[in-house]
Amino acid sequence: MRWILRSFLLSIMFLFFFYSPIFAQSSYVLPYPSFMPGSPFYKINLIKDKILKYWYFGKFGQFNYNLKQADKYLVEAKTLFEYDQFLLGQKALKKSDEYFYNIRSNLDNSKANKESIDSKRTLLKEASLKHIEALLMLREGIPEKVYWRPEKSFSTKIYLKKDIEMSISIRRKNL
Amino acid sequence: MKKLFLILYGLFLLSFSIFSYLFVDPNLIYLSNLYTGFAFNNREITTVIYLIGIIIFFIFYISFIQFGRNKLLNKRGVVVLITITTLSLLFSYPAMLSYDIFNYISTAKVAFFYHENPYIIMPIEFINDPLLSFTHAANKIALYGPFWILLSVIPFSLGFGNFLIILFSFKFLNILFYIGTLYFIWKISKKNISLIIFGLNPLVIIETMVSGHNDTVMMFLAIASLFFLIKKKIWSGLLTIILSVLIKYSTLFLIPIYFYGIFQIIKNKNLNIEKFIYFSAISMFLIFLLSPLREEIYPWYAIWFLVFTALIPEKKIIFYLSISLSFGLLLRYIPFMFLGTHFEITPVLKTLFLFFPSLILLIFFYSKKILWSRNI
Repeated sequence: MRWILRSFLLSIMFLFFFYSPIFAQSSYVLPYPSFMPGSPFYKINLIKDKILKYWYFGKFGQFNYNLKQADKYLVEAKTLFEYDQFLLGQKALKKSDEYFYNIRSNLDNSKANKESIDSKRTLLKEASLKHIEALLMLREGIPEKVYWRPEKSFSTKIYLKKDIEMSISIRRKNL
Repeated sequence: MKKLFLILYGLFLLSFSIFSYLFVDPNLIYLSNLYTGFAFNNREITTVIYLIGIIIFFIFYISFIQFGRNKLLNKRGVVVLITITTLSLLFSYPAMLSYDIFNYISTAKVAFFYHENPYIIMPIEFINDPLLSFTHAANKIALYGPFWILLSVIPFSLGFGNFLIILFSFKFLNILFYIGTLYFIWKISKKNISLIIFGLNPLVIIETMVSGHNDTVMMFLAIASLFFLIKKKIWSGLLTIILSVLIKYSTLFLIPIYFYGIFQIIKNKNLNIEKFIYFSAISMFLIFLLSPLREEIYPWYAIWFLVFTALIPEKKIIFYLSISLSFGLLLRYIPFMFLGTHFEITPVLKTLFLFFPSLILLIFFYSKKILWSRNI
């Protein structure tokens, strides 16, 4: 009995000794995909986003909000493109671009001191790099343009690569 | 004799106020000329002085209760004592035992100076802000309710950017609510002894007038709500209890009891006020005991139930437990004061110090009861 107890304790100690947490390599991490179009919770999520815009008042608050939203819609676009949902993906990417475009202006009029604003600018630079990295990977796996033909509707021509180039150029302005 | 007692009490409080300045934080640039480092470099002496101070504080408190019980201290006398206490301690150093007042100021600054939402933006995000060097919870978003943040605009604006004026304005605001609490205690109980039990309790005095905790604001609104319910003013009662919850959330535990009270009033049934107060005290005591689930039992949390226990002084065991717990809670500061660490043996000692006086009291109380029943 004592032998079993000792080996049990030793094995626990052994586990603790060799246990080491795994840390993410990237300094900026994109979120997991949230609810996707088609989910009944997607619309609720859109309403939540609109309400949160007012909750995140203030310059830094708006900075955080726009960055969070830009991240969220970039991940949404990436997931949709991977599933060949090009029209929805393009829509999500445009949303991400819009939010990303708004981020910088919030820092210019902040009452915070230079150091605080600089730290946010650094964060924005890191986010831009991560976004560009994700967009470049995305560009590799998609066609130049697609004809999107939804049911009972007219077909649309989507210039995917051009859109992604546009998104990259928006983010490059922060580097 | 009476005058001498008052003078001694006033002198003691002034000494305590001066003693509090031995704890001035080295990073508090605004009081750098008062910094001695004494409390941090002479931990043994500081602890002994604090312990003696607490014992003297409780000797005065028990004497006041005795005077009150023997009708030697009337309402006017209590008012004089409270005025002396307020004047002596208003300008004491507030971060002697807790740094919470700095958190209040930092949160107010995030909201009313930087115009950011303190529930999203942490004070630490404003790099090189002078408050960061001595604020201990700068890496946290607002911990308090929205009504408290809204109220904090008053002391924050009164300071016109001067840190020391802001600091003492926060203390002054809390003292005003303490006086308001006493007003409602008087209005509800009409008992001098209730005023003494709550208003002159060393724990209430130290945590409100020295440390400037906002728990008094929360309990002021809770007791005001109780008063309105007794007067059958349902809407005022409802509004004040909701505002109380929006100060620090703990009074959420009073909601079922208050709703039961409102229900009784609507049904035109008689509200058993004593039972109502008793259950409110029990409820707040339970949430007090449950506070380690979130962090730990902080001494100022006792104000949550002390407001109600003061209204039922005839319940002997509750009365004695309130005093012994108040004493034990103030002793909780000793391990950190002496050892200078929140780790190692400090948490164990804190728990021991907290419950030791109450345990002694309970043993004494029940052994007396058993012996008394055997004699019969």
